[in-house]
Amino acid sequence: MIWLALTLMAPFGAGIAILALRRQPAALALAGSALGLAGALGLFAATARGDRIAAALPFLPGFPARLEASPLTATFALMVATVAVAVLIHAAGYMARDPGRVRFFGIMTLFVTAMELLVLSGDWITLLGAWEMIGFASWLLIGFWHHRPAVPEAALRAFLYTRSADLGLYLAVFLLIGATGSPEIAAASALTGPPALIAGLLLLLAAAGKSAQPPFQEWLMRAMASPTPVSALLHSATLVAAGAILLIRAAPMLPDAVLVAVGIVGGFGAVITGLMALAERDLKRLLAASTASQHGFMLITIAAGAPVAAVLHLVAHAAIKSALFLGAGIFQHDRNATTLDALAGAGRARPGVFAGFALAALALAGLPPMAAWFSKEAILAATWNSPLAPWLVPLALAGALLSGAYMGRALRVLWSGPAERAQTPVPFMAVGLWGLVILAVTLGPAFGPLEAMLGATIEDIPPFLPVLGLAVAAGGAALGWLLPPRRLLGPFLGPAERGFGIASALETLSARSALTLAGAVARLETEILAATLAAGRTGTRVAAATCRIDRDRIDGAIFALTRGLRASGQGLRRLQSGLIHRELALSMIGILLLIGVLLIAPLSF
Amino acid sequence: MIADPGQILFLTFFGAAAVWFGVVVFRTRSMVRSAIALLFSQTAVGAMFLVMQAEFLGVLQIMMMASEMSIMAIFMVMFMMDPGGLGAMEMTHQKRLSLKAGGTGFVLALAVILLGGWGAAVQEVPEAAVQTAALGRELLGRSMFIFESAGLTILTAMIAATMVAIAPHGEDEA
Amino acid sequence: MTAELVVVLIMAAALFAIGIYGALSQTNLVMIMMGVELILAAALLNLVAFWRYLHPGAMAGQMFVLIVMTVMAVEMAVGFGIAVARFRARGSVEVEEARELGG
Repeated sequence: MIWLALTLMAPFGAGIAILALRRQPAALALAGSALGLAGALGLFAATARGDRIAAALPFLPGFPARLEASPLTATFALMVATVAVAVLIHAAGYMARDPGRVRFFGIMTLFVTAMELLVLSGDWITLLGAWEMIGFASWLLIGFWHHRPAVPEAALRAFLYTRSADLGLYLAVFLLIGATGSPEIAAASALTGPPALIAGLLLLLAAAGKSAQPPFQEWLMRAMASPTPVSALLHSATLVAAGAILLIRAAPMLPDAVLVAVGIVGGFGAVITGLMALAERDLKRLLAASTASQHGFMLITIAAGAPVAAVLHLVAHAAIKSALFLGAGIFQHDRNATTLDALAGAGRARPGVFAGFALAALALAGLPPMAAWFSKEAILAATWNSPLAPWLVPLALAGALLSGAYMGRALRVLWSGPAERAQTPVPFMAVGLWGLVILAVTLGPAFGPLEAMLGATIEDIPPFLPVLGLAVAAGGAALGWLLPPRRLLGPFLGPAERGFGIASALETLSARSALTLAGAVARLETEILAATLAAGRTGTRVAAATCRIDRDRIDGAIFALTRGLRASGQGLRRLQSGLIHRELALSMIGILLLIGVLLIAPLSF
Repeated sequence: MIADPGQILFLTFFGAAAVWFGVVVFRTRSMVRSAIALLFSQTAVGAMFLVMQAEFLGVLQIMMMASEMSIMAIFMVMFMMDPGGLGAMEMTHQKRLSLKAGGTGFVLALAVILLGGWGAAVQEVPEAAVQTAALGRELLGRSMFIFESAGLTILTAMIAATMVAIAPHGEDEA
Repeated sequence: MTAELVVVLIMAAALFAIGIYGALSQTNLVMIMMGVELILAAALLNLVAFWRYLHPGAMAGQMFVLIVMTVMAVEMAVGFGIAVARFRARGSVEVEEARELGG
């Protein structure tokens, strides 16, 4: 319980303190995230001992906000906290002279809080709230340099893409709570039949949006306009990982049909975004595409029915990718640019940083004995043993080959080129980078115990499979180092550079149709306006005519009537003689008339 | 149904008397004579009631008219400039119109009388005592509300006439 | 056609005509009232005749006679009240002299 509170409240408190005090943001953020890391470590240790920590906080009536630390969620929490600390150390150097430091660190810590809440949430409603919070915080962070061109647009695009996909999560959550009657995530695994199918597909939609799988990958590429520490945090352990985390947690309930869909999305995502990464001309966009590709791997693994292997790859990828981004951040800091042309030779200028970057890159490529080698081996084993193996294994191998190739290409570009000396030292950034690199290199051996702790069985794999994986990874890296992408991709270069037209197709599909609809509505409105104006003019004319008739005819008739009444009144006045005998005679005449009327009345009817 | 010739005879006689005295009312110049002629005319009408075997009503008519006409005679003497009719004073106006009106009324009434199908006359009539008793039950039973209204009307008329007739104080002192 | 009824009705019509003539032609208020008395006497005759020869069993006919007699009495009382008031004010009950109600 105390660990749970520490994990969540330390970054939150730091964020509030930063935004309230407005001084020493880096120190406060570091202290908060370090305390959070301590909390996460405590949680991890406790769950490793077999304790299960859970808390239910009063929230909606009948729907308490549940937090739970199972081995799985504690692992995620530890991963998030570790990456957060490293990234914040790096950011302390990266953002040292930025005027918006206070805002930056405040939002970063709040973002970390939201992410911890997401991974630790025990019911769908809390998860939904945290999901929304990280979406909002990521919008703020991607749009951090909002005065620069294209940045607000990128933030808005990220927000809208993920929001559209979030619709799937909303519907899935409503469906799950409605079908199972319980908001707890654990209860969803009992679900079967059509509700499970529909909810699973909707969850896949949400996960694909957050994890930038095709066709939603475009927002991630554009989000590179954000500060590099933000990219490091978003892409490794938090925002993008949220999609994979969602599917991993929902994996027990996913029926086979959904697993096939997950495999299709993940497999093609891994290959397509891998090709895009290979063709990319910007280092950060290359890393972004590789992130999408690696999350494709995780989806493949989930489809193969081995979510634990996906967890391993998620953890490995978190460490590696944040290290890569931090390295890229240092190079960007030096050259003040991120295109590969501008960065040529930047690695040679900083051999220490380049060494860390290269280690992380090789780790991502899947070379032993580093972390991703273990996780990719687990992935290959899982896909080999799954019923979907005939097409999952080739896709996984293609993805692995491509990850080696694009990392080799990035290293080649960074190393070959004119190097200039006398760079200012960057202690904070380097510490952050190397901390993560060490993790990326050494995490591998820890995966065995972690796998056991998460309750996965070690599967038998044919001995040629690790060899094949290693060969593919090494071959990919060699190809990427030796051959330029033009030779490597051949006719695929152009389409890959343009993102295979997915983004533009998506825009055509949504934007064009929306614009067409808007145009039609605008025309309709113009016509309605014209009709309304015509009706108004007709009304005015009718009113004028009515006015004339009123003045000339009705008033005239009324005045004539009054004149006539007046005249007849004057005439009748003479009858009023006041002489009783005259009045009596008139009475007689009146009585006669009455009698006449009474006699005639029955005849006429 | 055979008409009772005696009844017709008496009715014709008293009717002629009533009409004759009615003519006399407006032909004599003396107001007193006029009043007496009217008294006779009304008495003849009362006699016709008796002929028609409505004994209570006939007696009531004669008694009422006797007292009424004597009061009228007193007022004549009080208010007329020439109660005896000794001067040759013209007491009428719009004579032609009045004659036409009376004539028209008579002709119209005659037309209705002669043209209307009255059906057969009923010859039997209840005994006088039975009639009176039935009239009393009618007045104090079914028609009590109308009867009481008539009584109230008379009371109101008495009070109103007295109020109109007495002189206001201010006028007397002036 | 019943002879008795027709005789009575003709007599009543004659009285009615005389009454109308008198009410219209006389200049004296009291004489006008006499004409009205004759008209009402004609109405009484009609009522009694209709009762006697058409519906001798219906006592409502006699009741109507009583009501008309009441009206006669009321007319007399009010008429004399007005006559007294006018005589006090003008010293005359000639209707030719009463023009205050002229329009």
